[in-house]
Amino acid sequence: MEEMVVELNSGEPSAPGSDQGVAKAWESVTAALVSPGSSLSEQDRLNLALLCSHGLGRLLGVWLLESLQVRLSSSVVPEFWSGLEQPQDQLEERDRAGVLLSAFQTLLDRLDPFLSGLEQLGAWQAEGRCGLSGPGPGALQDRAFTTIRALLLFSPPTVLQQRVLEFYSRTFSVYMSREGGEDGPEVLEGPDGGACPGCRAPALHCWCPEALQRLQQLSLALSRLQLLEWVSAEAVTAILHRLIEQRMEQHCRGEYERSFLLDFQEWLELVLGWLGKVFATEGGGAAPVPMDPSVPSTPSACGSPVLKQWRCHMHQFFCRIYVNMRIEELFSIIRDFPESKPAIEDLKFCLERTNQRQQLLTSLKSAFESRLLHPGVHTSDILTVYISAIKALRELDPSMVILQVACQPIRKYLRTREDTVRQIVAGLTGDAEACSDLASELSRGDPVTLEMQDSDDEGNDPEDWAPDPTDAVPDKLGSKRRSSDIISLLVSIYGSKEIFIDEYRTVLADRLLHQLNYNTAREIRNVELLKLRFGESHMHYCEVMLKDMADSRRINSHIREEESKLSEEEQPPLALSAIVLSSEFWPTLKEEKLELPAAVCHAMEAYTRRYEKLKAMRTLSWKPHLGSVTLDLELEDRTLTNLTVSPFHAAIILHFQEKSSWTLEELSVKLGAPKELLHRKLALWQQQGVLREEAAGRYVVMETGATRDRLDRGVMLIDSDEERDSNTTTQSEQREEKLQLFWAYIQAMLTNLDSMTLERIHTMLRMFVATGPVVTEMDVNELEAFLQRKVREHQLIVSTGIYRLPKTS
Amino acid sequence: MASQNMDPAAAAASSAAALKGSESGSSAARGSVTKRLQQELMTLMMSGDKGISAFPESDNLFKWIGTIDGAQGTVYEGLRYRLSLDFPAGYPYQAPRVRFVTPCFHPNVDDQGAICLDILKDKWSALYDVRSILLSVQSLLGEPNNDSPLNTAAAELWENQDAFRSHLHTTFQQ
Repeated sequence: MEEMVVELNSGEPSAPGSDQGVAKAWESVTAALVSPGSSLSEQDRLNLALLCSHGLGRLLGVWLLESLQVRLSSSVVPEFWSGLEQPQDQLEERDRAGVLLSAFQTLLDRLDPFLSGLEQLGAWQAEGRCGLSGPGPGALQDRAFTTIRALLLFSPPTVLQQRVLEFYSRTFSVYMSREGGEDGPEVLEGPDGGACPGCRAPALHCWCPEALQRLQQLSLALSRLQLLEWVSAEAVTAILHRLIEQRMEQHCRGEYERSFLLDFQEWLELVLGWLGKVFATEGGGAAPVPMDPSVPSTPSACGSPVLKQWRCHMHQFFCRIYVNMRIEELFSIIRDFPESKPAIEDLKFCLERTNQRQQLLTSLKSAFESRLLHPGVHTSDILTVYISAIKALRELDPSMVILQVACQPIRKYLRTREDTVRQIVAGLTGDAEACSDLASELSRGDPVTLEMQDSDDEGNDPEDWAPDPTDAVPDKLGSKRRSSDIISLLVSIYGSKEIFIDEYRTVLADRLLHQLNYNTAREIRNVELLKLRFGESHMHYCEVMLKDMADSRRINSHIREEESKLSEEEQPPLALSAIVLSSEFWPTLKEEKLELPAAVCHAMEAYTRRYEKLKAMRTLSWKPHLGSVTLDLELEDRTLTNLTVSPFHAAIILHFQEKSSWTLEELSVKLGAPKELLHRKLALWQQQGVLREEAAGRYVVMETGATRDRLDRGVMLIDSDEERDSNTTTQSEQREEKLQLFWAYIQAMLTNLDSMTLERIHTMLRMFVATGPVVTEMDVNELEAFLQRKVREHQLIVSTGIYRLPKTS
Repeated sequence: MASQNMDPAAAAASSAAALKGSESGSSAARGSVTKRLQQELMTLMMSGDKGISAFPESDNLFKWIGTIDGAQGTVYEGLRYRLSLDFPAGYPYQAPRVRFVTPCFHPNVDDQGAICLDILKDKWSALYDVRSILLSVQSLLGEPNNDSPLNTAAAELWENQDAFRSHLHTTFQQ
């Protein structure tokens, strides 16, 4: 523009005469340009030709824009703002809407002459009339609109946005209440019941039609001024955001059992109808398109590029907002899986369209940490949630990356819990009430064999290969090893299946020893299922254990048969049945010292003799404390029948048969058991009202006393402190045992070989200690720590890295 | 009892070889011997007997070093003797070779450390193990068989326990 002004100045001296004619012609042409609707008269045409011949034609456009700018800044813009702000706050919403519309209409009125002048000029230029040339109508108008935007919206007061927002929100609710049918009231009906659902005004004063009409007018005015995008976009975006959020809060939050995608799809199409009104232009969009909600998608109805764009925006909004909400709720969704499957599917759909995986991971991890992984949560609950998470996340992300990354904290935490393995094993065998999923998972049709996972050639089509998502943890295993099999995942928490098999053996041993009836159908089934998982060889020990049970049953009936052939007086006084265990294959059983009464010992000896006859070269070594005894108690005034108690309890009460009063010391000697233990065991009989403690630790039988009805039936009497007792040794006991064994070896090698280095000791141990399920290898560090402990306890001497035993003599 | 000293595997192959003790024992047989020795070592470690001990000398499971403390109440009390135990490939159907490494002044031990003990010779049985050998040697110290001495001087001195003891302790060297 600057350039042109210079030209103007330079042009004038070239016509120093500057006859009145030129000046007049200028006056007249410019007047004609800004007066609306006038067509060019013959006189103007001549004038125009005159101006052009003087080289002034090019200046017309510049002049027009210049005067537009002057007019705008001097009067139109101030008038617009004062018109908009003037009524302050005392107006009704309805009136404010009117003010908004009229402000823009006035603006349009004021600027119209210039706009049409520009159009006119542009048309001339395009036609090349009278040698006129220029950028054409489009370019001229663009300049004009740029000027208008610059001056009007350079720093608009907030009132404009407020008004626009208010007005659009209103028209939106009006529109939705009309078009949406049942939808509108549900969303928008407030506490004032009688009001029109659209405009919230009392029904009598409903101005819904008026609002819609005004919307159309406003859209027209704005689009004439090419201000539509600039004024509305922000408000519309805000409204859409708010409405989608609001709707989601009302419909979806906490509701995981239903898919909302279709619902929202329909609703968004409805909203698009309103957008069609907002962005209606004189051209295509002005014709209102009544959206039929039953038609799911009508791309033709929103053909204009603006609407297409908004449609994309809306979907994006929707996905983003939905993902945000579900991320917040993901923990609960996982907890409710599989009921919450629809929510997971929705989330999966939306997550693929937004870039929020990282957000999801971070949020889920912290949710796990704050809600799950603390001491107050029972291990079985953690496992249950973990299993749900595996199921839910493998739906959500088939690449398993989310599963792997988000559940890392759970796995790490579970490793620190002592009872994890036990819980998992209990779950697998269907003992735990919490993790019942595991049992069904185990018996599922096509188990993944644990060894098979790394086989590459499972015939995966290379075409199906997809790269890992970018957030995948780079690990050497690669995606093919990222398993989603629940049992594999659980077992791999500790990185080795041996631990699980050992634990299972312990559990199995407990179960077999507790039931005492040789019934192993269920265990056989479990072992078979586990064999499918872990492989035959690993379950060998368990199979032997089960076989022991079957053998025992046979041996027992054999011996029974033999006994029945004996004469009356030779019949054993006690009916004894035994479970014969192959000690090599069973977990280490707890030892407890207990001297059994002579009668029982005789029965056992007799049994042993018969067994030895049956199985040459073998004998029995009894574990009396592991058994159970069924007995009847006959007292003076009552009989307690069919009591099932531990051998210890039975031994105690049997001694009272010969003598009705014993002191703790006497009993302790008789039974070969420490007094504290004995005292605890006696409590059971006291509870049952059979024994009574007198002063000085003397116990007597209560031959008469309050009869306890509840003992009439056969009862399993197990004192409470024993219930959690397991027949097998615990892990820490085993560890201690292992250290004890290693220490024996170390002492022996140092006794015979005098002095050795740490490495040599380690090598020797590795070579000569037979490792088995209980005794596992010890690594050098562990060994060194152990040796140092012995040094501190003065059981070992070390100097310059060489260990020796202290001199005894 | 005699049949117990027969290696069944070797016996099946050739009875002549069985009598010889099958030096050319197959690798499978050797494997089972290793297993047996490992088991014996474990038993010995678990037994916790005081005064006797043994352990493989190096990574060769067929050569052990043993240690015996003189039993209480005998003239050997307070003395500690090293022994060497060599297991033949035919073990346990053949007796191990047991010698004193520490010089031992004893009626049934010669100056090369060789021991005259029936269970290490003709009375050997596959049922014996390292532990029973060590215990036997330990008790032999306190109760020598003076009828067939290897060391006649020691056998003659045995009658006089005090003299025996003082001679023993002055000549004892580790």
